[in-house]
Amino acid sequence: MKKTNFLSEYGALVALVVLFVYNAMRHHGTFLQVENLRNLVSQNASVGVIALGMTLVIIAGGIDLSVGSLTALCGAVCILVVNKFGAGMSPTMAILLASVSAIVIGALAGLINGAIVAYGRVAAFVVTLGGLAGFRSIALVLGNGGEIRSQVPALGDFGFGGVAIPFAKDASGGPVLFYWSAVAFIVIALLMSFLLNKTRFGRYIIAVGANQRAAEYSAINTQTVRLAVFTLLGALVGVASVMVGARMNSVGTGSVGLYYELDAIAAVVIGGTSLRGGKGRIWGTVVGVLLLTLISNMITAENIDTNWQGLVRGVVILVAVLIQRGKKENE
Amino acid sequence: MNRSKAFLYASLGIAAVSLAGCQSGTDAGAGKDGGAATVGKAGKQYTVGVSIPAADHGWTAGVKYWAEQATKQNPDIKWIIKDAKEPNEQISDLENMKTQGVDALVILCTESAPITPIAEKLHDAGILIVNVDRGFTKPVADFFIEGDNKAFGRKSAEYMVQKLGGKGKIAVLEGIPCTVNTDRVNAAKEVFKANPGIQIVAEDSGQWNREKAEKVVQNMLVSNPQIDAIWASDDDMALGAETALKGAGRKNTWILGGAGMKDIVKRVMDKDPVFPADITYPPSMIAFGIQTAAGMLRAGKADAKKYVPRHVMIDIDLITPDNAKDYYFPDSIF
Repeated sequence: MKKTNFLSEYGALVALVVLFVYNAMRHHGTFLQVENLRNLVSQNASVGVIALGMTLVIIAGGIDLSVGSLTALCGAVCILVVNKFGAGMSPTMAILLASVSAIVIGALAGLINGAIVAYGRVAAFVVTLGGLAGFRSIALVLGNGGEIRSQVPALGDFGFGGVAIPFAKDASGGPVLFYWSAVAFIVIALLMSFLLNKTRFGRYIIAVGANQRAAEYSAINTQTVRLAVFTLLGALVGVASVMVGARMNSVGTGSVGLYYELDAIAAVVIGGTSLRGGKGRIWGTVVGVLLLTLISNMITAENIDTNWQGLVRGVVILVAVLIQRGKKENE
Repeated sequence: MNRSKAFLYASLGIAAVSLAGCQSGTDAGAGKDGGAATVGKAGKQYTVGVSIPAADHGWTAGVKYWAEQATKQNPDIKWIIKDAKEPNEQISDLENMKTQGVDALVILCTESAPITPIAEKLHDAGILIVNVDRGFTKPVADFFIEGDNKAFGRKSAEYMVQKLGGKGKIAVLEGIPCTVNTDRVNAAKEVFKANPGIQIVAEDSGQWNREKAEKVVQNMLVSNPQIDAIWASDDDMALGAETALKGAGRKNTWILGGAGMKDIVKRVMDKDPVFPADITYPPSMIAFGIQTAAGMLRAGKADAKKYVPRHVMIDIDLITPDNAKDYYFPDSIF
């Protein structure tokens, strides 16, 4: 048995630690502030939640390109619902109702994607490409091509609310909050990790992705499994859309969610999950999301033209994939 | 090495570095970057963040240019200029600027509503907020400068009504959803409504983008065989509209843009039939915002607010062949 190449297994984690240490030493006055560390987790929490769901879909052998557009659609639903009920009931109830609506719509959309993929036997790439266009279009119709503004200020407060981090103070002496979106990201990561690694359903996902024929012969209902992962991803997109809608207290139906699918897939790939399916890990995706946020943070701190960001990301993705290729050949 | 060991080492590494960093540098306070900038003669050195939209059309490119010019005029202050492609990115930029210890922020929103919550938070945290052009949806800023968009809408619409002799079919091209756009469109529509001979046969948003406007106008032309003039509200969109008109072979439609792009002003000067007039809306207003922020900080935030009005509106002019040479700046980037 060849020894697993350490770098190919933990490459992303190593990169994260190295860059973290680099930034800490270079900008220690600002980088290590609790606020900044909190930002590293919270700024991409919405994409992160989507990436977690995307991990499972990719492990199961599928892919979902419609998540960005679906974020806009669910976000639009969320704001519309909160506006409709915000006057009649307490803001908390309205926000709860809006969140549930967004998640339900997301799950429904995921269900449709999954059904066409599993039972209609159309390639996931094609189905979700249709979703990419279709969901955005519905969102634009709901928003009349523009943004939908929330009339419930409590939603915006919720977007910047969270758990106070003990022993931390920001520049003006106030508490530093660990935003609810960041909390959700971590909680969902733990849940998905448990789902994948410790439940039978998780093993089915891996089996379906690794070898669909063999999974069928093992009496696994591959259609149900695939339907389920797409639905789950849809629901997580709903969660992400609430995070985004709360942070902005509005949803720009044309601009929200743009390129989220690429960011999510990038995080999954960087984290070590293979696009071929059959193997992958949740913690890898978390590392991928944090790495992408860190790179973004660095580009601001070093005052580099933001236009370079795309190239940097592309290179990081390529390097990540090449390193993993080494892993495949060793086995 | 198995997975848990790797995690353990990684976490220990990060924890060690964090502890070391927290003890040596300033703790959770607004520490400035490693001793680079010189302290101003007046005492404290200020840091100001400038957050603007990415240059996706001529006007925003003009904003970036003027922002860079204005910050160069104030070298005693540390400036961080960042442009953002969309609201989520701009919110992250603003959060990052806060951790970098800015004393003031000059903000031109990518979109009005999404940026308002974070701006309010930052204002409550004690940062001076200067809002330029695209306003917040709540009066959060300490100083807000905008062009008089209602006058923009009104004057442009009045010109069109007058040139059409009170009768005609027009198309309306809107911009990005924000207070700027809403004020312009509403004011223009009020004028059009008051003149029943004017009929709006098509309206859509070109997002202040040349390519988008071209596509949108193409669609408008297909469904409307007769359009006398286009209220384009922006010169980038006007150029996109012109391409669409040429492509459809429509020769008699003229366009009224806006913002005073030098190429369009030249064509107004040369009496080009497609561009009979233009409306000013200078991107250099960002420079005014930056200068004001610098001035307010130097005077001491609390005092300065007494002398600076909360809301300033820049007047809008109609550019016609008679006065176009006064508005033509060939060396300008916009």
